[in-house]
This record gives sequence, structure tokens and C-alpha cells, in this order.
Amino acid sequence: MSGKLFKRIQLWTLITGVVLGGILLLGFNKVVEATSTDEFCNKCHFHPHATTSWKQGVHYNTASGTIVHCVECHLPPKGEGYLPEKVVTGLRDVYGAVFKDSADFNWDLKSRPDNAVHFTKDVSCVHCHQNLYPLEITHEGMDAHLYYEQQEGDVSCIKCHIDAGHYHEGILHAANVDFGTSDKLPDTVYLQPAIVETFEDFTERLPLSAVSFSMKAIPGGTFTMGAGGDDAFAQPGELPEREVTLDPFFMSETEVTWEEYLTWYSQTSGEGRTTDIGMLEGIDGLSGATPPYGNPDQGWGKGKRPAITMTYYAAEKYCEWLSLVTDKTYRLPTEAEWEYAARGGTTGPYFFGGEVKDYADVGLRARLFGVDTSVINSYAVYIQNSEGRSQLPGAVRPNPFGLKNMLGNVAEFCQDIYIENAYTQYPGPVVNPVVVAGGNEHVVRGGSFLSDAAELRVSARSKTNHDAWLRTDPQIPKSLWWYSDCYHVGFRVVCEFDDHLTTK
Amino acid sequence: MDKKSVSRRNFLGTTAIGAAGIVGVAGLAASCSEKKVQVSFVPPPLKAVDGQPIRAGVIGCGGRGTGAVINFLNAGNNLEIVAAGDLFDDKMVRFRESLKNKKGVELADEKCFVGFDAYERVLAEDINYVIIATPPHFRPMQFEAAVKARKNVFMEKPVAVDPVGARRIIVAGKQAASMGLSVVSGTQRRHQWNYLEMFEHVKAGAIGDFVAGYAYWDQNKLWHVNADPAWSEMEAMVRNWVNWLWLSGDHIVEQHVHNIDVINWFKGDVYPVEAVGYGSRQRRVTGDQYDNFSVDFVYEDGTHMHSMCRQINGSHGNVSEFIMGTKGRTDCRHKIFNHDGTVLSETSDNPWPDTDEAKNALNEKYNSPYDQEHIHLVNAIRKGTPVNEAEHVASSTLTAIMGRISAYTGKRTTWDEMMNSEVHYQPEVYDFGPVNSVPKDVPVPGEAADA
Repeated sequence: MSGKLFKRIQLWTLITGVVLGGILLLGFNKVVEATSTDEFCNKCHFHPHATTSWKQGVHYNTASGTIVHCVECHLPPKGEGYLPEKVVTGLRDVYGAVFKDSADFNWDLKSRPDNAVHFTKDVSCVHCHQNLYPLEITHEGMDAHLYYEQQEGDVSCIKCHIDAGHYHEGILHAANVDFGTSDKLPDTVYLQPAIVETFEDFTERLPLSAVSFSMKAIPGGTFTMGAGGDDAFAQPGELPEREVTLDPFFMSETEVTWEEYLTWYSQTSGEGRTTDIGMLEGIDGLSGATPPYGNPDQGWGKGKRPAITMTYYAAEKYCEWLSLVTDKTYRLPTEAEWEYAARGGTTGPYFFGGEVKDYADVGLRARLFGVDTSVINSYAVYIQNSEGRSQLPGAVRPNPFGLKNMLGNVAEFCQDIYIENAYTQYPGPVVNPVVVAGGNEHVVRGGSFLSDAAELRVSARSKTNHDAWLRTDPQIPKSLWWYSDCYHVGFRVVCEFDDHLTTK
Repeated sequence: MDKKSVSRRNFLGTTAIGAAGIVGVAGLAASCSEKKVQVSFVPPPLKAVDGQPIRAGVIGCGGRGTGAVINFLNAGNNLEIVAAGDLFDDKMVRFRESLKNKKGVELADEKCFVGFDAYERVLAEDINYVIIATPPHFRPMQFEAAVKARKNVFMEKPVAVDPVGARRIIVAGKQAASMGLSVVSGTQRRHQWNYLEMFEHVKAGAIGDFVAGYAYWDQNKLWHVNADPAWSEMEAMVRNWVNWLWLSGDHIVEQHVHNIDVINWFKGDVYPVEAVGYGSRQRRVTGDQYDNFSVDFVYEDGTHMHSMCRQINGSHGNVSEFIMGTKGRTDCRHKIFNHDGTVLSETSDNPWPDTDEAKNALNEKYNSPYDQEHIHLVNAIRKGTPVNEAEHVASSTLTAIMGRISAYTGKRTTWDEMMNSEVHYQPEVYDFGPVNSVPKDVPVPGEAADA
């Protein structure tokens, strides 16, 4: 081969390579562009939770008429990881489109801000919103953005700007002075609370309201508290088992409902609401909650749905009020009372029988053949059947003591200070135990609509997380009464069977 | 965007040091056996550069406002005062007389405004520079208004009396910075040649790492004004403002902020994370303030600053700062000492010369820091290199507030509490009548809920 020919081939190879490369690059750019339009996104994300709510939202209806497109929020800016993130989300979306049915997705849960932060990153927000302190900003906005900058990553933009991308009717991040005021009250009005003289189930009545609720008589007794040695899902804090003896008490059949909670809320006065209310004789002052910031019921409705997002302190104050207006001793259950009541005389992880492996979607067998969840579904509202929200008490069957939703629906405050090794520190046998010191957080029991089957176990323990649950409350000081970042916890009340009742 | 730009650990940055005309460190003496660091110091400019006309307005025409206007007019050519505002007519009359006598400048009647809205009317004039020298209580609202009106600002220290106010200054300062406006504050040590020179030594490592700082402002009683029976409560309070917490922030904030700011500045514009303070009222005649404070501040790295301030007649006087380092120590304004007390290095000139000849030479070479502040500000505007001291002075103000609240309450206070505190002293209305909704009683440590 002559040198000339060789050079010519070299040249032609070079030219071909450049042309091919150019075509590829052009093609690549075309592909990137074509797969980054709103129309392309909406081909798969056609469900109303994506397209419609975006078109109803503030980033579509901007004051200037500029429309903010899908990829501008859901992918990082170009040059800051745009392409890699596009590839990753693209692959995930293709997998979802091929192997999953969007109708099965829990959209309520997926569109919660705590989930949305995974595909709406601050880097995209501040790419456009570069100035956190525009001249028009309010003093509240200034303080909130100073707080944001001080938190160094613990707070993300959309945790506060909650409906920035997609319109969402139930969710609110703003002062909510009117909360609960528009709920229509029924006509019947109780003038007196229930009178209880014997130890049997009764229906409590809230004076000056039409609200009543059922209380179950829980006989005293001795039981084994904690997780059994054969419970593979037991956490260290649930061990060792200990023998506990309890006096009899009454417990509310269901978690405290919105109509019960709002009776207190409307009968006690707070900032922004009228103080001109009918006071019960002999009571000249009660502290009530201030109005919430945000929407406590999440737009799910109130009525007999369990009340949520109140602080532990608010739950305690509710019990104090309830005691005053009913002339009884109401309080939060102790952790031991709670577990005793939840077990209803049973042993094992669930009062309705079975084990975690029977219900949980884990392990090869479960993955291949699925699990029979008909039993757990009839007793508990949890992640597999909750659709990401609390349900009405009628959705489940009661436990042997007649109590509903002890496991699942919403988790519940207990009186005890949370200590992880409480059972080691205070081994059995113990009588009416309650931990009153040794920490700052309180015990939370019972799992919620967000829990998996393992977290629903009757011995499973959890706790409040005060700072994290108030992280995005922009008020100064933060609310005493409402958590801004916790929507899965409520409470139920117990009433003591004490001299208070029997000597009347 | 730098997410951490306001975090207290990252305040370092964008301020006026460059404008002071320092060329910086020529070289560390690493190769020499001498541990003295080599610093080449260029004195700050004696006069502002020529350039676009500066038309200034002044808000607050008392002693300091009058002084600041004269300092401004001294700073260079083509500088003009065109509007003035004050709360009181008699202050305005005296201000106009001083201006006429000292600088030959006469302001037209229609450019002089009196009343609570005087600041808005000054800002509405055709000005590009505003001097704010009202009592500290009014600073946040007036600085915010000045920034909204797109004015360059010279504002006196302190810049707030409470945490809410300090945060408002920080944010308005950011807004000013983002619009390319310049802001200089009356913490004039940051513009004073001998402090600037010592700062260069310390920055170059002359005393090693920071170990502890000491800040002092101990002096005789400050002035007070007895109320005229014809005055409303508002008039009596504002005329006697250095004795009322809601107007001045108490003397630890109003006066001692200078020294506290020097320690924070020399430490690298870092601010303490907590404070435990003592204080009391022994001899003050009017108002609700203390007359002595002693505060232990702790920085995040565990080092401390001790601050002492007092306004009591017949007691020892001391207005100074002192910093201990790992290699040596400094008085921040004249000398670097070795640990054995010998002098390692000192400023290129003696700031306190003995002879008249030397004094005259010093005055030829260096400006008063009060003039210098305005030279720096005018230069920043004319050269298009904005300076912004708002965040620094607000943070040092907030440091002093944190110390005050600790002394008032007897409790430990923290920077995080200050950044989230709702404490804000605000009268119900600004008019010449009774003053409601502001504290008037002297706080009792251990009993005061907050302050």
C-alpha cells in the first residue's frame, strides 16, 4: 500500500468519523430535547395527579405568564447533573410503565412533600429562584428563609412551598385561623356528662355539644408485656418480656375523633378565635389550642376520622379539659395499659393471630405467591390497605376488648417517657408501671396507616420526635399545639375507675 | 447559590476591608529565624476619588447626624447634602445652623422635614446616599425603607435593639447587596488606620490562633434629659433615648457594640454561639436600663470573649480591646506582644504621639475614622465596587443583644435563640402621646421571663 493511499484512507476515515459523530450528537441532542417536553412526560404521567394538578398550580399560572415545565423542577439544571438524573429517572419510568399499573400506585402518599423531595430538589428551585430575599418578601418570609439557610439541608423548599408544583386542595402551609369553625354542629346538645357508677362500658357525653363516644371497661389483670423470644422482628427495646399487673380502667373504643377534639378546640379560647363562649359552671379558665398553621386534617375530612397532628402537650391538655367537663379522671394511657388493652388477653404479635411473615410482603415465598391479607385487612389500617391516609373506625373489626384500631390507622401517644431499655431498667413483676423521667420524648404505640406489618406488632414501640415534627413550622415561637411535620399520630383516652366515680 | 451564606460560620466575606486600601501580606517569615510576620500596609485613602455627584439626605439630625453630615462633606469633591429629616423642630434648627457655620451650606426649608414620617420624605427626595443617625430603635424600619428606595446607606451603630430588628437588618442588607447598593456602618474601628494595620498583622498570623478576646467600655455616666412637664411620654423618651431599652438597646448594645465588633472582626467575622452575663443598675438616673454589664461569650470553637461595660461616675475608665493568641497578644490598635511582654511589632506610626509636630504629621497622613467611613463608602459607589457591612454590624449588634438578654434574665442565651427569638419592642403607635407595649421596668435577673 502506498503512503499516499494510506493517507487518503486516513483522511476519509477521519471525515467519516466526524460526520458520523456529528450525526450521532445531533441525534442525541434531538432525543434529549424530544424526551424533555411536557407532552413527552405527559404521555405516561397522564394521571390527574401529575398533569391536571400541574396545570391548576402556581407554576403553570404564573403572574408573568411564563409556564414552568416538568423537567425544570423534576430534573436538576443542565450542567448540574441533568443528564445522569434524566437517564436514571427515564429507566425507572420505563420500568414502571412496563411492569406496573399506575392505578395501583398510592398517589396520596406519593405526592406528600416528604416523598416529593426525592424528585423535586432544591437545586432546581434555586436555579430560578436565586434571590431568597426579594424586596417584596414579608417579614415572615425573611425569617423563614433565614431559618432555611441556617438549617443546612434539613429543610427543603417544597416542605414549606407545599403546593408550588402541583395544586393540592387538602394541603396547606399557611396560617389556618378558620380551622374547624365551619364544621356544622348537630342539633342535639348534651347538657350533662355520662354518670358512671359501675364498672361497665359506657357512653361519654361532651356537655354543650352533640358529641358522644364509647368507653370500654377493661378489667384489671396480669399479662406478659414485650415481644416473645421467638419474634424475629422484635427490636431490642421490646425485650425482655416482663410480667405486669394493672388495675381496671376504661379506654375509648376508638382514637379521639375530630368531632371530639374540635369540641375542645371550639370551647376553649385561643388566638384569633372568639372567647365569647358558654362556660361551664365552676370553670373559669381553660387554656385551649391556638389555630394551626397548615391543614391538620390533610383535607381527608374530619367528623369521626381520628384527630391528628396535635402535639403531645395538646393531647395532655385535651385530657385535662375532658376531665373537667365530665367530672372524671381522663388521661393518656400508660404504655403498659396500652399494650394490655391492645392484646385483649392474647399473646403473640397480633391479637387477630398470625405472624409477620404471614402478612408482610417480604421473603421469596411472599414475593412469588403473594400473601393472604384478608385477616389483617379486616382488623388494621396499614400501608397495604390505607391508601396513604387514616380511615373511619367502621373500616375495621374490634379486638377482644371491643377496641378498634389499636393496631394501625393512627399511632397513639402514651404517657410514658420513652426509654429504649425500659423493660431492662424496670423488669417484672411490676404493678401499674409508668416511666416519668429519663428522657424528653414520649412513647408512641400502635403503628399507623403508614406502617408495614412488622411495625403493627402489638409489642412494637416508637416515640415522639419533637424537633423533627416541628421543623417546618415557620412561626416564632413554634406552635405548642400543632406539629407541622407529623400527620400519622393521634391518641386515645383512658378514664380511671377511681373514687371520683364510685363515691358520687 | 451558596446555601450556607448566612450561617454564622460563614459570614466571612464581602466587606470593606479591600476598600481600605490595604495590599496585604508581603510574605510570611517562614524562612527567617525571626517569628515576626512581614506586613506591608498602605494607609487608607485621604480623599474619595472624583466621580459621579453624590447627593445625600440625612435622617436624624442630632449630634451624631450633624457630625456624620460634616464627615461626609469632608470625604471628597462633588459631595452635596440636599435633604434632612428629624423628629424635632429644635434639632433641625440647630442642625441647619451648624451646617451653615461649619461648612457654609444652607438647606432650603422645603428640603427639611420634621416628624415621624420625615425619613420617608427624605427618601423620596432626589438623593443617592442616605445617612441614618436616629436612635437605634428606628434603624430597622428606616434601613429597610432606604433599601427599598434603592439608596446607598451610611447607618450609625448599633443597628437594632432586639433580635427581630437585627434579623431585619441582615435581610435588608442582603437585598441591598443583591441590588449592588453599598452599606457602611458607624462601627468606625473597621475604618481606622491603626486597627486596620493591626488586623493585617493578626490575619498574617502574628499572634497565632485566637485563644481569647477581651472587650471593654467602662466610662463615666452618659447624658440624660429630664422630662419637661409639657412633653408627651413619647417626646420625653425619645429625647432621653440613651436611657431607654426600647430606643437604645441598653449601653452594652448602644455603645459597647464597638468593642464587641472588634473581637468578632479580628476573629474572622465569627460570632459567639452563647452567652452568660451579669449586669445591674446602680447609679443610672432615668429610664429603665442597667449601668453595668459583664458577659462571658463562647464561640463555636470553644474560645471565649469577655465583655465589660459600665457607665458610672467615679469609676475606672477603659475603652479598649485585647486579644490573646497562641503565639502572642495584641491591643488591636498599636502593638503585638510576645508572651513574655516584649513588643514583637507595632503600627508604622505611633497613634498617640507626644509632640505637636508628630501629632500634625499624623493628621497629615491619616484621616479621622469618622471621615474615613464616608471615603470608603463614596469610593465604593464611584468605583463600582460595592461594600456591605450590614450583616457584620447586625451580627455584632445581635451578639451584644444576646449578652444583654442573658444579664437581664440570668439565663444562658444562645445564638440559635437569637435567630429565632420573637422579642421585638414596638410602641403601639408612633405619635406624641403615651407610649404603650414597650418595657419600662428595670429587669430583675432570675425573674425576668425574657427581655
